[in-house]
Amino acid sequence: MENNVTQVAFKINGKEHTLDIDNRFTLLDILRDKLNLTGAKKGCDLGECGACTVTLDGKAVNSCQILAVKIASSEIKTIEGLNQGNILHPLQISFIENDGGQCGYCTPGFIMGAYPLFESRRNVSVEEIRLALAGNLCRCNAYGAIIDSVVGAIGIKADG
Amino acid sequence: MVDQNAHPPSVGTSFQRVDLRDKVLGIAKYTADLSLPDMLHARVLRSPHPHANILSIDVQPALNMVGVHDILTPFNVGEGKVAPDVPILDTKVRFVGDEIAVVAAVNVYEADAAIDLIKVSYEVLPFSTNMDTSMKKGNPKIHTQGNVVNGGPIVEARGNVEEGFDQADYIVEDSFTTPGHHPASLEPRAALASWDGTRLTMWKPSRGIHADKAILASALDVNPNNITVIGPVMGGGYGSKDETRTSVLAALLSMRTGRPVKLELSREEEFLAGRRRHSTFTKIKMGVKKDGTVTAVHAKTVMDTGAYLSSGPGVVRRAGQGALYLYRCPNVKYEGQIVYTNTPTAGSYRALGAPQGHFALESLSDQVADKLSIDPLKFRLMNHVGPEGQPGERTTPKNQIIDTQPVEGGIPFSSNELRQCLILGADAIGWERRDQIQTPTGFIKRGIGMSMFIYRGGPGGQSKAKMSLDEDGFFTLNVGFMDVGEGSSTVVLQMAADTLGVLPQIVRLNSGNTDNTPQSPMTAGSTLTFSAGQAAVRAANQLAQIVIEAASEVIGLTDTEGLYITPEGVCSARGDEVNFTDLAKKSGLLKTTVSVTPGSRDYIVNSFGAHFAEIEVDIETGYVKVIKYVAAHDSGTIINPRMAESQVRGGISQMMGFTFLEDMEIDDLSGVTLNASFLEHKSPTIMEYPEIEVIFADSIDPVGPFGAKSLGETPCIAPAPTIANALYHATGVRLNHLPFTPDNVLTALRKLR
Repeated sequence: MENNVTQVAFKINGKEHTLDIDNRFTLLDILRDKLNLTGAKKGCDLGECGACTVTLDGKAVNSCQILAVKIASSEIKTIEGLNQGNILHPLQISFIENDGGQCGYCTPGFIMGAYPLFESRRNVSVEEIRLALAGNLCRCNAYGAIIDSVVGAIGIKADG
Repeated sequence: MVDQNAHPPSVGTSFQRVDLRDKVLGIAKYTADLSLPDMLHARVLRSPHPHANILSIDVQPALNMVGVHDILTPFNVGEGKVAPDVPILDTKVRFVGDEIAVVAAVNVYEADAAIDLIKVSYEVLPFSTNMDTSMKKGNPKIHTQGNVVNGGPIVEARGNVEEGFDQADYIVEDSFTTPGHHPASLEPRAALASWDGTRLTMWKPSRGIHADKAILASALDVNPNNITVIGPVMGGGYGSKDETRTSVLAALLSMRTGRPVKLELSREEEFLAGRRRHSTFTKIKMGVKKDGTVTAVHAKTVMDTGAYLSSGPGVVRRAGQGALYLYRCPNVKYEGQIVYTNTPTAGSYRALGAPQGHFALESLSDQVADKLSIDPLKFRLMNHVGPEGQPGERTTPKNQIIDTQPVEGGIPFSSNELRQCLILGADAIGWERRDQIQTPTGFIKRGIGMSMFIYRGGPGGQSKAKMSLDEDGFFTLNVGFMDVGEGSSTVVLQMAADTLGVLPQIVRLNSGNTDNTPQSPMTAGSTLTFSAGQAAVRAANQLAQIVIEAASEVIGLTDTEGLYITPEGVCSARGDEVNFTDLAKKSGLLKTTVSVTPGSRDYIVNSFGAHFAEIEVDIETGYVKVIKYVAAHDSGTIINPRMAESQVRGGISQMMGFTFLEDMEIDDLSGVTLNASFLEHKSPTIMEYPEIEVIFADSIDPVGPFGAKSLGETPCIAPAPTIANALYHATGVRLNHLPFTPDNVLTALRKLR
């Protein structure tokens, strides 16, 4: 087994980690099984549903499609890293206020998918929001409320 | 007693979904998020053949692997059954993906490696991937009783349908098919079992923990008192999520290894071994007089249940209710037949049967209107069933609760605002401009279509609730039902709080564990708000009485005269006050348990609605774009408007999948499902989400709690026929076979030219 393990150092939600990682594990496996960060979900493990979305060096990615050994010196943010204790992130507040989730299984993925848009600190159009979240499935089809939630947190262009 | 003016009611307001905060924080725990010390991981070996006998299985090389702890096969699991036609594991496999063996290992990678080492010897059998082949005489029997379930159709009739057709001036008849699309909840099925000596604890996504407990006890031959089922947060069900072997297999592995075992299905397995919607073939006929009066309706539906029966009988019955009851008509008949095939199993999926039945009925209704040269909306306004119900004689005995899917006439509805839905919806879509929007030239054709529906109104099985005032001054409502992600716990909490006269913030809801909740039916058939709501209301009413009596003693009064509940406690008319915390401390635990049998002995409780859509069809590409969608629903009082609107908009968008995209494609030559993935069984995304306007009719049901009726499944019934009728209006082409993929639309358009 020793040959199948690689030591990797990376940062998750601002905290440094150094882990011996089974080469077969994806970033999603590490988050869920090793770090107990279960907010990112394994909806398909094929990069088709977006439920495992986290940000990797600021970009939204499907964590199930990234081998964990490839994240050396990267900075990862997961849904658990958005709020500071009881102080919720504006996206989280807006998803609550706009009923942006039903069963909730896709919700962390949608929020993390919208997070880079929020971080860009600019007003965006509804079309940009749709494009940013085009790879996230919500089988409750709460898409209308999800758009409202992102708009509520970010604000939209006057022409959006 | 309860001061109704003490504070604004919660019912009718958009009180925040109770579990949404945990969900946006990523801390809500779903089954797959749980793990236990020393836990093993299970993986399933699935059949590569659509139909075969298993002669032998060699598991030894796999068992020899370090890290492999146990392997279940049909030869070592005993005789238990998960359902009447589903043994725990069987020596016969009936579809590509059927379970053969299950490995428990230290992790999924080792388990997968072990699966590869298992050698199975098969006797491959002839198979059938479609209903026609299954029904042919002499073809291989998938189950010993034959391929037609119960040997023939169920038959339901009112009046004499032949006489009805004799009275008709016109008879219109057509055939329709619907796809076996998959609910594909984002959370795949999973189970975590922990066997501790003689006790089993099972964590699983569940829409009925008490029903799951009974299944586990029977399959494993274990005393139910030794089983605890816990339902963590559920990642979507849409009527599906039970009925499979998943939890029983995990339990058995845990029992045998003495270690916790988690079995999570992959996405592909969820598609194959989960439950899809029944694909159907429907032949339907309507007779009308020249003046537009409907004289007869006759529908025959044959549905494909795949390899196992699951909830087929309930689904096939429900597919006929539109034909039997939506149009005022003395002579109606419905025949519904279920057929086994060697394909993935069909089961309950949101509005079970009603979308299939209404697609045929409401498409045909437009054809009838066309034949009569009557506007389709006008035809429905002339003929929809009214508040008085159907013509005929009541046959249900006077003291008996009326079924929510009756056949007989002579019984009025408790409330029926279908007409209001038709009028409000037509107004919102702009039906009056329908004749002007068609575009005779150019490649983009515009059209407006509509349809209407009828559905069970909410009375379900016997429902229990316990309610108490606890020592900390909070109330606890204890219920055995499961919130499957649709929000039932929130609306039931709102009803209980309002009945007591307190704020919902001081009422806790306890659910999800069979050890400390009362028996409750499954979250199914859109019955929860109505049935659990009635139980909650009765429990809260009784507890209010108990609390007031206790308060009168604490305050030192001789009776309860003039006492009333406030958000903080109990007050008397002369100004004495005791808050809930003090009351609980002084009186001890105040509690009550109730059991209700929901329903009415005098009325049919049904929900109704009418949907309208304006669409654009690109006749060069076959792509259909929904410009605007309007859904007008009569669900009685709306307990939580924002959540209700989410429910309706979500249901419609979900069924855009059924209408335009989704079907499980089975290869006839191999029996293999060709598209068991999100990429290929494509569902609607945020890109095509249309503008949806939701209208709730002004309606208060006299039977339902706070006047409420069913809502959860009803948005799923009318989308497909609404779009089909809009497509016909736009292009002059009627499509009878769902889904309306660009390919299918183009093919249909070419036939016309």
